[in-house]
Amino acid sequence: MTTLADAATDGAATPRIDRLGVVIAILMAVALALPFVTFRATRIAAGNGLRLFDALPPTAAAAVGAVLIAALVTAVANRRPSLRLALGALALVALALGAGAAGTHLTPADSPYARIAPGSGFWVGLFAGAILMTDAMVRLKLGPVGRLIALAVTVALVAGLLASGAWSHLSLIAEYRSRADVFWREAINHVILAGGSLAAAVVIGLPLGVVAYQLRAIRDPLINVLNIIQTIPSMALFGILIAPLGWVAANVPGAHAIGIRGIGTAPAFLALFLYSLLPMVANTVVGLNGVSRAVVDAARGMGLTVFQRLLQVEMPLALPVVLTGIRIVLVQNIGLATVAALIGGGGFGVFLFQGLGQTATDLILLGALPPVALAFAAAVVLDAAIEISGRGKA
Amino acid sequence: MIDLSHLTKVYGDTAVVDDVNMHVEAGTITVIVGTSGSGKSTLLRMVNRLVEPTKGRILVQGRDVLKMPAYELRRSIGYAIQSHGLFPHWTVARNIATVPMLLGWDRKKVAARVEELMELFQLDHAQFAGRYPHELSGGQQQRVGVARAMAAKPALLLMDEPFGALDPIIRGKAQADLKAIQRRTGTTILLVTHDMDEAIHLGDRIAVMDAGQLKQYAPAADILARPADAFVDDLIGTADRPFHYLTLGTLGSAVEPGEADGAPLAASASLYEGLGALLWSGRKAAPVIGDDGAPLGRVSLSGITDRAAQPR
Ligand SMILES: Nc1ncnc2c1ncn2[C@@H]1O[C@H](COP(=O)(O)OP(=O)(O)OP(=O)(O)O)[C@@H](O)[C@H]1O
Ligand SMILES: [Mg+2]
Repeated sequence: MTTLADAATDGAATPRIDRLGVVIAILMAVALALPFVTFRATRIAAGNGLRLFDALPPTAAAAVGAVLIAALVTAVANRRPSLRLALGALALVALALGAGAAGTHLTPADSPYARIAPGSGFWVGLFAGAILMTDAMVRLKLGPVGRLIALAVTVALVAGLLASGAWSHLSLIAEYRSRADVFWREAINHVILAGGSLAAAVVIGLPLGVVAYQLRAIRDPLINVLNIIQTIPSMALFGILIAPLGWVAANVPGAHAIGIRGIGTAPAFLALFLYSLLPMVANTVVGLNGVSRAVVDAARGMGLTVFQRLLQVEMPLALPVVLTGIRIVLVQNIGLATVAALIGGGGFGVFLFQGLGQTATDLILLGALPPVALAFAAAVVLDAAIEISGRGKA
Repeated sequence: MIDLSHLTKVYGDTAVVDDVNMHVEAGTITVIVGTSGSGKSTLLRMVNRLVEPTKGRILVQGRDVLKMPAYELRRSIGYAIQSHGLFPHWTVARNIATVPMLLGWDRKKVAARVEELMELFQLDHAQFAGRYPHELSGGQQQRVGVARAMAAKPALLLMDEPFGALDPIIRGKAQADLKAIQRRTGTTILLVTHDMDEAIHLGDRIAVMDAGQLKQYAPAADILARPADAFVDDLIGTADRPFHYLTLGTLGSAVEPGEADGAPLAASASLYEGLGALLWSGRKAAPVIGDDGAPLGRVSLSGITDRAAQPR
């Protein structure tokens, strides 16, 4: 079998084959060799791996296999980004439809407890297809609007697949179906935790950054304190917050009524908010500091008041850097909000930790995949916004 | 127009502007020259209070600027700087409209003023109004910077090395344009430079600064003829002095009766240009014509060089 190192030297000797393409091809080949789905008699029983041709009727298996092989060949042999993008996308669609079809094909009519889940081959193939696509997108130099459209198409495709019922026999969906209302409640919790703490960090951190920019004296102490908070591990920070919030809940009239507790959403929200402050404040200060001195001097000399200067000149010019801070915070909070479940804060982490407790892989995935997808989408949207806001400010 | 009395700025324990007294006549161009760090910018920036004086008084049109709100004062005074400081996220038109908008002019009046200024500064409105600063050449950016400073028709314009970033050719043209526009509008200009040529070319009066002190404040011809001290002498440069001096007079002042051969020279050209033309064409004399093309007489090499000697 060819090793990675061999492939790399081959690539160097014959420069017409690109190295990433070779890696993708190897991954695709591995994907074809590994089990496509796993079959379990019950949701926590040991799994039994099934290869592509065991998992699907021959024609369907041949179709999926053909698409994956075509993507494999394209990855090594064709350099046209548009073709690579198309085949990467096609591979992902084939994998998705194939897994759904396998679910339908393998589920015994008399055994509703049997679970069919995507196997290692599916995941490796998904990974390879995704690299092929993203690499092609980079090479196509897709602009911000193009990337937003690509994201929208992806979201629409996944939503379509979910709505069509093509995946309804997959274990992940079965897991979802049995707790759909809880899922959406926790999804909303998750978004409120991540988005709400971001909003609070923007509302507090932005003015704090502006003040730190105007008053040199408080800048360094403030940034230092926020830096220290940033280094506290999340579990420790949750723990640290339990005592003071518990005290507030017990002793401040009305605090309990508005949901402040030692455990639950309040400490989770507060912890995420505290983590968000540093990137917000630091990026605001850096962004404002980056505005050219000549521009600030001209603005003063023209007779703009301090507020006019801030709102009309300094903030608009600092916006790309401030948005970068927001991007960091949002992506970070979407991930961290998962941990909030440990102290009863809710969110997708609820499923993840339940799944870990029961060693139920599907439940773990139900808790892990949505935040990953959310963070990815948030990153794409904000990157596009940063690029658009930075235009014309050279 | 401007009266500075005992104006002083102290940073730490050095006076970077030291007890300056100065009167600037309305409708003139006054140029502040001096070496780097001599306090020129600080002096200029005290007039619109970008720097608060440590001591002294500043009157602009009879009003004590220290008793006015700073932003209101600044809106009434034009301000243009070397690296132009155009707002990169605003179009050319929006940049020029900055002060009129701050003053709350109505949209039509602002638009008309922007168009008028762009024409004055030879920037095609259709082509440039919607562009962003980074889509302009350095010379165009500089013109927009000056147009922006003049947008609200200020009676006083402060300029800190406005042509510092331009190449010599564009620079000469920008200076000539500024002078012509100033003569047309009657704006009082206080301009900082460290270039003596620029000072002599533009300044009705020149203020020479050294280490925070005003060394000499006089019309260009007086500065050249009677430098107050060794520092001013040095700044002018002894080798260049007669040539500087020739740039101040016109050929019209050196016309003598008689005729000469070859291409005629314009009476409005400077003595310096006339000398150059004679030397280059190898002539001892040339005919001179007026603006209307009528022959006025001739200028001779010796007639010009006589005028390059230090007056007594
Ligand atoms: N904010 C400040 N704090 C301390 N010292 C200052 C400050 N601004 C200016 N100075 C000092 O004051 C002196 C005069 O500065 P100024 O900018 O007026 O010089 P300049 O004549 O305009 O020089 P240049 O031709 O280089 O622009 C310099 O020595 C400078 O270091
Ligand atoms: Mg200066």
